[in-house]
Amino acid sequence: MDDPIIKLEHVSKELIMKNGREEIVTTILPDISLDIRRGEFTSITGPSGSGKTTLLYLIGGLDKPTSGNAFLDGEEISSMDEEQLAEIRNAKLGFVYQFHFLLPEFNALENVMMPMLARGRVPVNEAKKRAAELLTQLGLPDKLHNKPNQLSGGQQQRVAVARALANNPIVILADEPTGNLDSKSAEVIYRLFTKLNEETGQTIVVVTHDEHFASETKRLVHILDGQIDSDKKLR
Amino acid sequence: MTVKFNYPLAMIAFRQLFNRKRQTFLTLLGISVGVMVLITAVSLMDGLLQSFIQKIVEIAPHVIVSGEKVKPTVPDQLVDSDSSTQVRMIKNVSRSDQEVIKNYPRVETLIKSDSLVELVSPSVSIDVIGMFGTVSQPIQLFGIIPSLENGIEKFSQNMVSGKFDELEKTPDGILLGSTVAKDLTAKTEDRMQLVSPSGKVYSVRVVGIFMTGINDIDDNCYVNMRLGQNIGGFSPDETSNLYIRVKDLPKDGIVARTIEQVTNYKAETWEQKAASVVALFKMMSGIVYFLVFFVILVAGFGVANVLITNVLEKARDIAIMKSLGFKRSEITLIYMLQGTMVALVGAAIGCLLGFVMIEILSSIPMVSSSASAIRTDRLLMGKNPVYFVAASLFALIVSLIAAVGPSRNAAKVNPVEILRGER
Repeated sequence: MDDPIIKLEHVSKELIMKNGREEIVTTILPDISLDIRRGEFTSITGPSGSGKTTLLYLIGGLDKPTSGNAFLDGEEISSMDEEQLAEIRNAKLGFVYQFHFLLPEFNALENVMMPMLARGRVPVNEAKKRAAELLTQLGLPDKLHNKPNQLSGGQQQRVAVARALANNPIVILADEPTGNLDSKSAEVIYRLFTKLNEETGQTIVVVTHDEHFASETKRLVHILDGQIDSDKKLR
Repeated sequence: MTVKFNYPLAMIAFRQLFNRKRQTFLTLLGISVGVMVLITAVSLMDGLLQSFIQKIVEIAPHVIVSGEKVKPTVPDQLVDSDSSTQVRMIKNVSRSDQEVIKNYPRVETLIKSDSLVELVSPSVSIDVIGMFGTVSQPIQLFGIIPSLENGIEKFSQNMVSGKFDELEKTPDGILLGSTVAKDLTAKTEDRMQLVSPSGKVYSVRVVGIFMTGINDIDDNCYVNMRLGQNIGGFSPDETSNLYIRVKDLPKDGIVARTIEQVTNYKAETWEQKAASVVALFKMMSGIVYFLVFFVILVAGFGVANVLITNVLEKARDIAIMKSLGFKRSEITLIYMLQGTMVALVGAAIGCLLGFVMIEILSSIPMVSSSASAIRTDRLLMGKNPVYFVAASLFALIVSLIAAVGPSRNAAKVNPVEILRGER
């Protein structure tokens, strides 16, 4: 339990923007180191543009650091190529975004099945069964065959959480998961995450603006100008 | 739509297309029309060529032996070689520039000994002037043995009036091709005159008129061998050509080569004789296919268009699929699959439309034209499954090429940019 499941070592991220012939280099994260242990429920807060989302993408292998090393479950993901990262994202990570990002052509059940079928590691029947179970657990037993546009915002986000859980990820990464929801739906999502963490020991990292949500988690990391401003253990 | 979910990539491809019904439909229409036009054009051009060849094979000699020598004549030695002076010369006895097969019955026996040969028919050809009433006109006249020649040119099946058998029984009878009969306004039982190259006038009686549909043959007239030899000034054992029908058509080339070796007379196959017409057909086909190519090309732009729109509109979905663990290659495959689906469905519809088109076109009666090589009362449409397969394959290839660009762009979508851009 002591070896961190997520480890960032002196990670920096610069964005190079081309403006005609000029190249403008913007440093988003100058140098950040962070360890997250198995079973931790961490929230990352900070003002807009502080680099918290970039930090999350680096942890999730969606983006690569400019320098420094990022490890996930003992593997160095910062040196992997795009195909390897796709494997890792599929097998070990579950993402929840501010917007549900469900595929509009597919119903709830099919959306949840998608990560299981993407790499073909789960047979269709099994995937279907598991997807139905997950959606039932998340309180949507009667919405399996609804298309995303037939669901409310809160329901869509719950489908997205079910999809993130589909492949039994070792870490769930959420980027403003309640940012687009009314307070009642947001509350449902908080409780969902808390329950997941408490009952199954699921490691969760949430980027959020929401002070109330952040205060419910076990660890609160505050980012300011790409640096860790404070790192508090709440429980 | 309940389609099995076993192949998520195919499902994603299919549903994205299905959700853009109108654009997908228009693209399908483009492919379908392209395939239909291609099939129709190929059918038309190939149908013309095939029916021409079929007719030729049916009623024209497969091999024609002419009086021309394969190797030049060896000069006769006039003086013994051991004498001090040598004089060599080629006998200059050829009649104008007409080349004849001498002692043809022997040559005929020689050719018949080849088991591949079905029939040999001697034929004397003479350029004469035909006169009927006040009309006169040059005619290509042939002296034939009717029973033999009928086995090659199938006159008895193509008689417009009169009876073919009458020719054999009538020493001064003449059989007119329909074009000649029309030009001279002569009818069966009419008497007409032929003026030979040497200026002698022969009176002949029309025993019948035939029409094969091949203008080259309908321009000809036929008399009995003896009369032909008289008009042309041939001796009884001379002929200008031997017409040969072979038992197994593809072997006509072998037969022709054997004859040249054995007899030293030039033997040409129908393919060689018809080469210029066939070449003309092929050139026409080439032009038509070139034009049709653009129709399919435009359809290809349609495919590119629907895919480009899909990729642009689905950038967000592509980003999310990548974050779920779909690989670049799989994203590419989704859009290549879309190109394939549109092409296959479009081609299937196009094949159906093409089939209907061929049926309709081949049932429309047409005024015959004497300008073409063959004369028919309908469009001669070819009906061959190969057209359909080839046209579909072509549409598929064009669609796949059109899909490559958009598919690659889809794979290049950077999830971070898209997922970030949403806020």
